[in-house]
Formats: sequence, C-alpha cells, structure tokens
Amino acid sequence: MLTVLITGLAIGALYAATALAYNVMYSTSKVLSVTTGHLAMLGGVFGAWFVTSLGWHPLIALPAALIVGAFAGWLTDVIAIRRVLKRSDEHLWLLSTLALATIVQQGVGLWWGTEPKPFPRLLPQDFSAGMADQKYWLPIITTLLMAIALELFYRRTLYGKLFIAMSEDTFAARARGIETDRIRSASFAIAGALGALAGFAAGQLTFAFFALGLTLTLNGFIALAVGGLGSNIGALVGGAALGLLNAFSANLIGGEFQNTVSVGALILVLLLKPEGLFGARNVRPV
Amino acid sequence: MTKVVLRSIAATAALLVLLATLPWWASDQYQLHLAALIAVYWILIAGLNLVVGFTGQLSIGHVGLLAIGAYAFAILAGRYEWSPWLALAASGSIGGVCGLLLGLPSLRLPGFYFAMATMAFALIVAELTLALGELTGGGVGLSVPGFTAPFDTPAGYYWLLLGIAMLITWLTWNVARFPWGRALVAIRDNPVAAESVGIPVFRMKLAVFVLSGITAGLSGALFASLQSYITPDTFVFELGLFFFVCIIIGGRGSILGPLVGTAILTALPELVAPLAKLGNLFYGLLLLAVVLLVPEGIGRLFEILLARLRPEREASRVLQPDTDRLAAVIRKGHQP
Repeated sequence: MLTVLITGLAIGALYAATALAYNVMYSTSKVLSVTTGHLAMLGGVFGAWFVTSLGWHPLIALPAALIVGAFAGWLTDVIAIRRVLKRSDEHLWLLSTLALATIVQQGVGLWWGTEPKPFPRLLPQDFSAGMADQKYWLPIITTLLMAIALELFYRRTLYGKLFIAMSEDTFAARARGIETDRIRSASFAIAGALGALAGFAAGQLTFAFFALGLTLTLNGFIALAVGGLGSNIGALVGGAALGLLNAFSANLIGGEFQNTVSVGALILVLLLKPEGLFGARNVRPV
Repeated sequence: MTKVVLRSIAATAALLVLLATLPWWASDQYQLHLAALIAVYWILIAGLNLVVGFTGQLSIGHVGLLAIGAYAFAILAGRYEWSPWLALAASGSIGGVCGLLLGLPSLRLPGFYFAMATMAFALIVAELTLALGELTGGGVGLSVPGFTAPFDTPAGYYWLLLGIAMLITWLTWNVARFPWGRALVAIRDNPVAAESVGIPVFRMKLAVFVLSGITAGLSGALFASLQSYITPDTFVFELGLFFFVCIIIGGRGSILGPLVGTAILTALPELVAPLAKLGNLFYGLLLLAVVLLVPEGIGRLFEILLARLRPEREASRVLQPDTDRLAAVIRKGHQP
C-alpha cells in the first residue's frame, strides 16, 4: 500500500509541476498553452539524450535541458502567442499552441523515435532501494522546491511583483510603464525551464517518451482545474490528489481505466465547484 | 444575380457528374479508395463543421465518436449479424446519444476547458476500446462486414458514400443558411450578445453537437466497413486533430472551404510521398501557418484573390433617387 502511495505522490508531483508551469504562463498572458506538457517532455527527452547519447555529466545536462526548455517556452511566446494576442479573436491562441504542440511532439517523434527510452540514473544509488528510490523522491522534492521558489519570487522580488501586477490587470500594468511584452516572454521562458526541470527530475519515472507531452498537458490541466486556476497551492494539492487517485484506482480496478477515472474526477469537481478548490470565482462577462 | 446563381448551379452539376463517374475514369482502385475515404471523412467533418466552424466550439476529440460509431457497426453487423442498414442507423443513433452525453457537461465549459474535455473523451474511448476486450476485441481488433449488393463492390460502395455525403452536405447547408445557422454564428462571435437577443445558447450548442455526433457515428460505421478491419490503433488522437485542422484550414463559417480542405488534406500525403513520412508534423505546420497568416482560412484567401482578379463591376452603379415617388409618399403621410 505504501508503494502505491509513494508512486501516486511522485506522479502527482509531476502533474503539479506541469500545473505550476501553466500558472506561470497564465499569470502574465491569460493563455492556457497546449504546449505546457510538451515542455516537460522536452526536459526528459533532451536530458536523456545529453546524458546517454552525448555522455555528459548530469550536472551539465541539467542546465542544458533547462536552457532547451526555456528556449522552447520563449519560442512558444514568439511564435504562437505574441501575434495572436494582438488580434481580438479569443481562442486563436488555443489553435496556435495546439499546432505548435503537434509540431513539437511529432518532430521529437521523428528525431527521437516513438518508443519510450530509459532515462539514466542521476545519483549513484542501488536499484534495491525500493521505496526510497530516487525516481520517487526526486520529482516530489523538485516540485516542492519549485513551488517555494515561485512563491518567494512572486513575493520578494520586483520582477515577481511585475508578474502579479500583470495577472491582476495587464492594461493597468502597461499604463504604469511595465514592458508587458517582455515580461510575458520572460514568464514563458521561466515556465519552459520549470517544465523541463520537472520532466528531467521525473525522467526515471516516465522514461524519455515523445507522447508524454499530451498526457501531461491533459493531466496537468486537470490538476490545475481541480486545484483552481491561478493558485499555486491549488496546483500542488490538485496534482497530489490526481496522482494518488490514479495510483489507487490503478491498484484497485486496473491501470487501463486511468484517463476515465481522472476525467471523471475533473467533471465531478467542475460540477460541484466550477472555480476549483482554491480558485478565484470568475465574474461573468457582460 | 440570376446569372451568378445559374453559373454556380452549372458548376455544382458538372462537379457532381465528375464525382459520380469517378469509378470509370480513376486510373486505379487506390484512387477510388482515396475518394471513398474523403467522402467518409467529409460525412464526419460536415457535422463537425457546424460545431467548430459555425458555433465556434473547438472540439478536437471527435475521433472518439468516430470510434464509437465504427465499433457499434462492427459489433452489431459483425457479431450479431444485423442487417448493415439497421446497424448503420444504430451507429448513427449511438453516436448521437454519446454526443449528447459528452455535450451535456462539456458544452457548459469555456473554450480551453471544452477542448480539453473533448480531447479527454477521445483518450477515454481509446482506453476503453483496449480495456473492454470481450466487447471490442481489444488490441487484436474486429473484422467488419461489407454492405449488401449492389454496394458490395468498390465502385458501388463509393456511390453509396457519395450519396450519403451529398445528403449530409445538403443537410448542413440547410442548417447554415437559415436563421439556425445565423444563430450559431452569433453564438460563435459573441455568446453574451446572442443570449441577449433571445438565442437559447446552450440548447443550440447541444442540438448542433448531437447532430455532429450522429454524423460522426454514421461516418464511423461507413469508415469501418470501408477499412473492413478496425483496431484501437486506427482511431489515434491525431486523427481527431486532422478533422479539426481540415475545418480550420478550409475556413470557419463556410461549407465549401472545409470540403476543399478535407479533400486536399486527405489526398495530399497519399499523393506526395515525402509528406506522408512527415505525417502529423505536416498537419501541425499547416495549422500553424494558417492560424498565423490567414486565420480566416484558405477559402477566404481564394475569395480575396478572386476579388483582386475580377474587375470591380458594382462600383459603376449609381443610385438615382426616385423623387416623384418620395414626394407622393410624403404628401400621403400628411393626410389624416
């Protein structure tokens, strides 16, 4: 039973990290990018490539993977968001990020192959460690650190306050002389780095797999919607709850109903509390 | 005015003759199969077009409904040996019911949430087709019977598909050009304003979504019979994305645009070998290019080009006020 618990928490941590990346981008742009899960996938795939194929030390591979993720995040903003936000059409960003996500996923599939490949050991540890194995606690600790760092960043630094100002009201922030375009680009790069970090830390759990992105985009979004859009605490709680739910349902009724259970939970929460557990209630647009 | 109408009627008739005689002038069986595939896809996309192109609900998971229709047909006509026609009708109804069940909770959600819900639906269906092995044959799949004579040959089946596709096109055209369609476009452009002029937003969305479920179910049944063997791998999520891309590339709020988009996007990777290797990457690139460069769709691009090429005829028209009649009306208005 404890194994189920720790597996659920570990995979839930990855979902929570994806939800955090969603939040970072959402705060400055009010865009929910379909590429969010793919950023984590890039971290895992490039991490595995750097360490296994190029033979780099994990300490060099990690920053390199973060740079790849940050670059991918920045590119998302430049290609799919910047031009589209200028138009008034509300959901064009959904199409453009969906297109970009497809390109990234299929591109990686063509280059890396469509089979999941093993992710290397990051720390020297025996495989007999069982529940204390690094593949479980690495993603959990990384996600907790990520959430704390984000909270400190928002509360203690000037840049973080700019993010909050933009999430409150972009026009007002612009009127006060904040370069909103640059802040948005920065937020996408940060989200990319965070996503890649999560994908890198959880690589041993998920393997380096090109189709992971879509799964994470969906499950990260479910964690976010359950926890409440825009809330980092909600992202953590939602991710953990979803991971535990997945693990226990796989244990009780079999692993082939994973998506059905997760989406059932999402619909239940949306019906009972549409704004999520920790979300701010949306005002009706009139 | 009538000249334009006559000309478009003539063009449509010529196109129909061309399509109906395809079995005689197609150079091989494969081209005929491709044409049949386009017709099958179009039956789904025509319904989906009302949802995506007219109502603006971005459903990327219609492949789930396609799979449900296909499996319903395979199980009913194959295992229980129902008549294919009865099974076809049942598949359409089951698709409609599943559309209703999917639409009831998800159509209340805003844009991104709705897209994610439909995507999740497609993934759930894929999961269940694998998990419920006794019903669906699991990963091994099911073989699907064909239709009865005279539709049991490739040419006969192609004519059947062409007939159904034309019927569905006519149906969606009727929905689109009457107040119904205007209401859908109003919901797409501004749901709040649409509600304020008395359009029952949720009911309209649900009705059109159920219609798209029915066409998806029909399309699934015909698709299964065309392929004659189905496995869960046939209904990957990327196929749903493909349907979606066809509509966006063709242009939202039009019927001809998505039709051309479907035909081109289905045929292009088959006819140009290097594109087939790229597969879904090509669709992604195309979608990105269209969204960024011509968000109104390629159909709109053609319209703009045609307008450029054609000299302005309407510009020389001068309006002459009928002053005598105006004076008469004013004089009449003064009388008690």
